[in-house]
Amino acid sequence: MGAPVKGRLLDLVLVLAGLVMIAPLVWLIVTALSEPINAFQLPPQWIPRPPTLQNFQQVPDLIPFARMAWNSVQIAVITTAGALLTSALAAYAFNRLRFPGRDQIFSVLLAALVVPVQLTVVPIFIMMRWLHLVDTTVAIWLPALVNVFGIFFLRQYISSIPRELDEAAIMDGAGHFWILFRVILPLSRPGLTALGIFVFEASWNNFFWPYIFLSSPEKMTLPVGLVSLQGAVGGGPAVALFAAITLVVLPILVLFLIFQRSFIASIATTGLRA
Amino acid sequence: MPGYLFISPAVLLFLVFVALPLLAAFGLSLFHWDLLSTPEFAGLDNFKQLVQDSATIRAVLNTFVFALASVVTHVGIGMLLALGVHRTMTRGTKYFVRTAFFFPFLVSWAAVALLWKYVLDPTFGIAAYYLSSSTNWLASPTWALPTLIVVDWWHTIGYTFIILLAGLQTVPAQLLEAARVDGANAWWRFWSVTLPVMSPTIFFATVITFIGAFQIFDPMVIMTQGGPDGATRSIVQYTYEKGFQAFEVGYAAALSLVLFVVIMIVTGLQFRLSRRWVHQ
Repeated sequence: MGAPVKGRLLDLVLVLAGLVMIAPLVWLIVTALSEPINAFQLPPQWIPRPPTLQNFQQVPDLIPFARMAWNSVQIAVITTAGALLTSALAAYAFNRLRFPGRDQIFSVLLAALVVPVQLTVVPIFIMMRWLHLVDTTVAIWLPALVNVFGIFFLRQYISSIPRELDEAAIMDGAGHFWILFRVILPLSRPGLTALGIFVFEASWNNFFWPYIFLSSPEKMTLPVGLVSLQGAVGGGPAVALFAAITLVVLPILVLFLIFQRSFIASIATTGLRA
Repeated sequence: MPGYLFISPAVLLFLVFVALPLLAAFGLSLFHWDLLSTPEFAGLDNFKQLVQDSATIRAVLNTFVFALASVVTHVGIGMLLALGVHRTMTRGTKYFVRTAFFFPFLVSWAAVALLWKYVLDPTFGIAAYYLSSSTNWLASPTWALPTLIVVDWWHTIGYTFIILLAGLQTVPAQLLEAARVDGANAWWRFWSVTLPVMSPTIFFATVITFIGAFQIFDPMVIMTQGGPDGATRSIVQYTYEKGFQAFEVGYAAALSLVLFVVIMIVTGLQFRLSRRWVHQ
């Protein structure tokens, strides 16, 4: 009898902790759906009173929300596709090809994993200013096209694929591009997916870099746009800001609930293998 | 030489956006420059100024406190949570708790920081209401930093938790069963089987949390602007203020080098200490 009761107590504690954890998010969404006069009442209302979408309609008047969302999508897609491509090419070479200096070059890349981006941001800002790329989306995705962690991660992944497979293709006269794209990458799909989610998510949520490089509202990404909206609504209770935050959070929540397994796997595998 | 061809995109980008800026940061730290006038060679002036600047010392201290508290709360509570979720038999509970704790990690810091500013607001925030407090935590020199530690915990615990949970799943059931047959109680099984098997994962989580915490910037800049009176200013935030608001580019470069050195020393130390407790 003792064990099941103890088990149920554990469940109860865990569920209560989970409820406390999501309370701020529930409060966010309920408030965003409330009439401005009913919002921010205490005690907080946890069930939406007649919900309204009027706060959401206000968002585009305050910031170019659609434009910012498009910038975020564009930057995240280019960064993810580019970083996966450059990482896959390099990872293949570092694992399967022989060339002078290979291991030394790889070691130098690996050592750079400990360099914080904050150390490079001032020089890159000066470089971008010189190239007239400050306040453009290019300044955000261009430096992100090289992902040292991605090279390392994919190299580990590719090294677990049996060499007999590509050796057979070489016998048949296949070139390295063909082997990489037709043999290795299809077999690396779980690794590519995990890395892709990881990179996309990091780009989508990135605040530091866009905050420094982007200043015009129509160039901004969503995270920076949200923070600029805070200034637009002033210090008081800001229902429109809650609507905007909800618009940012909701798509991720939906995507997460659909692809939960891949999201969690991407964190678990990219984390554990590093 | 297909090898060079394949690595060239990554290596070229690396040279331009990592190696060159890294060298440039060292160079810049030896100059006084406001981005407009001609750079003026300053030798070690910036570093001299740095050790005398009470704001730098404060920022370094704040960052250490924040990083230490992060590691203890993320890894400690994350481990308890992972053990709990791992043990529960109910699928619904497992799914709900895993989702509830992991999801905040996927929300951008900008959204989290703005939302929590309202959660913590002394007049209409839910935290103030449920804790029956009228303290303006973010405006209090004593409470501002601990408050940001809590908000960071809420945002980032999901990452540590998932990594620890994945690590727990690698603990061989036969090993635990063998210990049970030998009469080991739950605590002893945890201590003699789970913890040793988990030690590389815990080590990884500790190192990653430290490195991430030393680079903290977003919640400070959005929620407190480093205030009140520098109580929450972090190294990176101070670098930002110096470089992009005061336009003291050389000083900012010197500060970012301090961050780099701190991360190197602490990470190196962790690897050294890890030989004592991490099982390979």
